[in-house]
Amino acid sequence: MVALSIGEKYFIQGGIAQDLRGDGRKRLTPRPIYVETGVISQSNGSARVRMGATEVIASVKAELGRPSALHPDKGKVSIYVDCSPTAAPTFEGRGGEELSTELSVALQRCLLGGKSGSGAGIDLSSLAIVEGKICWDLYIEGLVVSSDGNLLDALGAAIKAALSNTGIPRVNVAAGASGDEQPEVDVSDEEFLQFDTSKVPVIVTLTKVGRHYIVDATSEEESQMSSAVSISVNRRGNICGLTKRGGAGLDSSVILDMISVAQSISEQLINTLDSQIAAAEAGEDES
Amino acid sequence: MAGQAGGTPSTYSPSPTTRKTKSLILRNDDVDWVRTDGREFHQCRPAFFKTGAVNAAAGSAYAEFGNTKVIVSVFGPRESKKAMMYSDIGRLNCNVSYTTFATSVRGQGSDHKEFSSMLHKALEGAIILESFPKTTVDVFALVLESGGSDLPVVISCASLALADAGIMMYDLVASVSVSCLGKNLVIDPVLEEESYQDGSLMLTCMPSRYEVTQLTITGEWSTPKINEGMQICLDACAKLATIMRECLKGPDSALEE
Amino acid sequence: MGLPDSSGGFLSELDVDAFRRLFPLQFYESHLVKSKRPDGRSLAKARETSSALGAVASADGSALVKIGSTTMLAAIKMEVMTPSKESPDEGCIAIEFYMPPICSPIVRPGRPADTAPVVSKQLSDTILSSGMINLKELSLISGKAAWMAYLDIYCLDADGALFDAALLSAVAAFSHLQIPVVSMNDEGKVVVVSEENEGGKEPVNKEKRKLTLCSIPFSLTCILYKNYILADPTAEEESIMETLVTVVLDSSGQLVSLYKPGGPVLAYTSAIQDCVALTRQRVRELQTILDEATAGMEVD
Repeated sequence: MVALSIGEKYFIQGGIAQDLRGDGRKRLTPRPIYVETGVISQSNGSARVRMGATEVIASVKAELGRPSALHPDKGKVSIYVDCSPTAAPTFEGRGGEELSTELSVALQRCLLGGKSGSGAGIDLSSLAIVEGKICWDLYIEGLVVSSDGNLLDALGAAIKAALSNTGIPRVNVAAGASGDEQPEVDVSDEEFLQFDTSKVPVIVTLTKVGRHYIVDATSEEESQMSSAVSISVNRRGNICGLTKRGGAGLDSSVILDMISVAQSISEQLINTLDSQIAAAEAGEDES
Repeated sequence: MAGQAGGTPSTYSPSPTTRKTKSLILRNDDVDWVRTDGREFHQCRPAFFKTGAVNAAAGSAYAEFGNTKVIVSVFGPRESKKAMMYSDIGRLNCNVSYTTFATSVRGQGSDHKEFSSMLHKALEGAIILESFPKTTVDVFALVLESGGSDLPVVISCASLALADAGIMMYDLVASVSVSCLGKNLVIDPVLEEESYQDGSLMLTCMPSRYEVTQLTITGEWSTPKINEGMQICLDACAKLATIMRECLKGPDSALEE
Repeated sequence: MGLPDSSGGFLSELDVDAFRRLFPLQFYESHLVKSKRPDGRSLAKARETSSALGAVASADGSALVKIGSTTMLAAIKMEVMTPSKESPDEGCIAIEFYMPPICSPIVRPGRPADTAPVVSKQLSDTILSSGMINLKELSLISGKAAWMAYLDIYCLDADGALFDAALLSAVAAFSHLQIPVVSMNDEGKVVVVSEENEGGKEPVNKEKRKLTLCSIPFSLTCILYKNYILADPTAEEESIMETLVTVVLDSSGQLVSLYKPGGPVLAYTSAIQDCVALTRQRVRELQTILDEATAGMEVD
């Protein structure tokens, strides 16, 4: 919780009303975003994303598993977020648990699509190896290192970057296995397949303070919010998931307005993120 | 607590694991398919509400939508936990749990951890928390049987239980979800439809203020489709709220086709 | 108003509800001397009892039982297990009693009620020792497969006499139980025979759809307070007068079990005999209620 005096609160609210926020940004200007990939060498892919004082790390680990009976031709993805006690004193002990669950559920909703698997940002069919027998299980983990608001957007960006950085080993299936037997596989440690992340959406959270809403709120600004809507948008401009946070009600026309604003912002965000990821990948290759 | 000495042996449900393929239930983009229970796409299941289901609670309600059956009890306002800090507004504490026999396979209802916090968010905006400072209102829900659209039913039922307990609210909260199946939007989906859905939209609102307190969307949606989905839900919420209001007014419970 | 000069004067000025909360014992005593209870019952009278079978569609057997406002929902789910080596042709019953937070203000999520495991254990002991169910009837294929009956009882509203209501709901759920018709598939797993693929495998338990229940146990909980015996107590009565005696008799009147878990009142043999006599009357009542419920089911 951010403790603010009445004057500070008034300053934040007044600034937002006049389209000039405390750090000089306009209402719909996000903070600059910095991406660094390959930060965890043990994982198959990882990325660190910084937006102002918010810093998150995402890592992707691929393991061989068995597909579920319901979707034999698809792999499985699990997303889990941990809020480190180093990020904020309230995360100590079990304090971060509720926020962790909330962020995990929101990310799953935004990235994994409907129950039938359609509309998923991550193409689950590409994770299948032998139908009904073997598939890749992706374990995506997010870690909040430092928290200054807008965690969900940062985590979404970090996961997109980590997936771009992910190389999944090529698997050769030994021929001849039939029936109930589990086929033998040979996991290559030299050949890697690049993961297609063009369909992975970005998340834009619009935080409503007073009568206006802002993007990329800092935690001070978040403490003044009445409600927030997190919208994930893919490159085609379609909505891939939406979560409302905060208690106060919203008029439905305001929500539709927020969706269209999120769509236009997401376009810039995807482009910035893509160029940042490309630069980070290039930087990593050189070093 | 098995009847025999030694540990409980591992058991399995004899129900067939092979499920009907999707095409059997709905012929994909065919516009003319019929829903498993014969409803039209934009027709809700008959809703049944009853307040005062649990005498031990300050307020309670029972709701039944087809096979989905839930009970919600409200306790309080009562003393907050000792560890809680002073607060000049009331606290709301929500919990949603499932019975072991709620799902077709025993004990599968436990993977709904997020429902408690989603119920909290859906109700928070409607309750006048200033009316019970320093204290806590507990809202506990038990899903007796899960038949699809569980969370929306829990939310609507909880707001009725709060009203029954005499907790001050701006308005009743009604909640409805739609599933996107192929090109079609079906309202108030049953379990089977939910497990094959391409996307879903759940909307919770205060009907007389036309205010949305909770909205979640999964799957890929175009803007016109979101518009359509939200409109369907808002209309259904308004209808649902009249049934809920009837239930609060009269001693006999309301029933709607 | 001024200070009351004697306690009698003070008490007479009190509102009835306030008196009931402030001096519960005196309040009850003033009723007991008139052989009446605050809810209008006589001391030996149990509350109105009802039972409805088949309340849960997703279970193989279920029942909803109400005693006064105490409500229990019991459901049985049948699963398949491999029987143990010691008893290859016997099935198994697992009984669990739950008190979810909706049922009472004293239960909170993450902090279960103390009484739930106690009632759970008492139920298992009573049902398994009464010999109501022949575990051999739960066998499917000797040594290979047998039924595991999971009986889960949820208390939906707790207002005293939890064990009595739970036991009645358990018995009612067993009498409603319809065992699914199953057959053995090629992989040695037991699967339900559905109507569509009737022609496939021969079902292994065509005749054994219902369990034969012999000597059904019924119970009555009584409060002992001074010389009074109060049958079927409410939650309020249980909290004020703490000595409880629960007698379980089977349908032929034989004693199955008797619990008197401590309490400040020490019972004379005669008091216990009175409790047993009250239970004997109650068993007849409960038997009729159960028979009516099953008869109603068959008409449907």
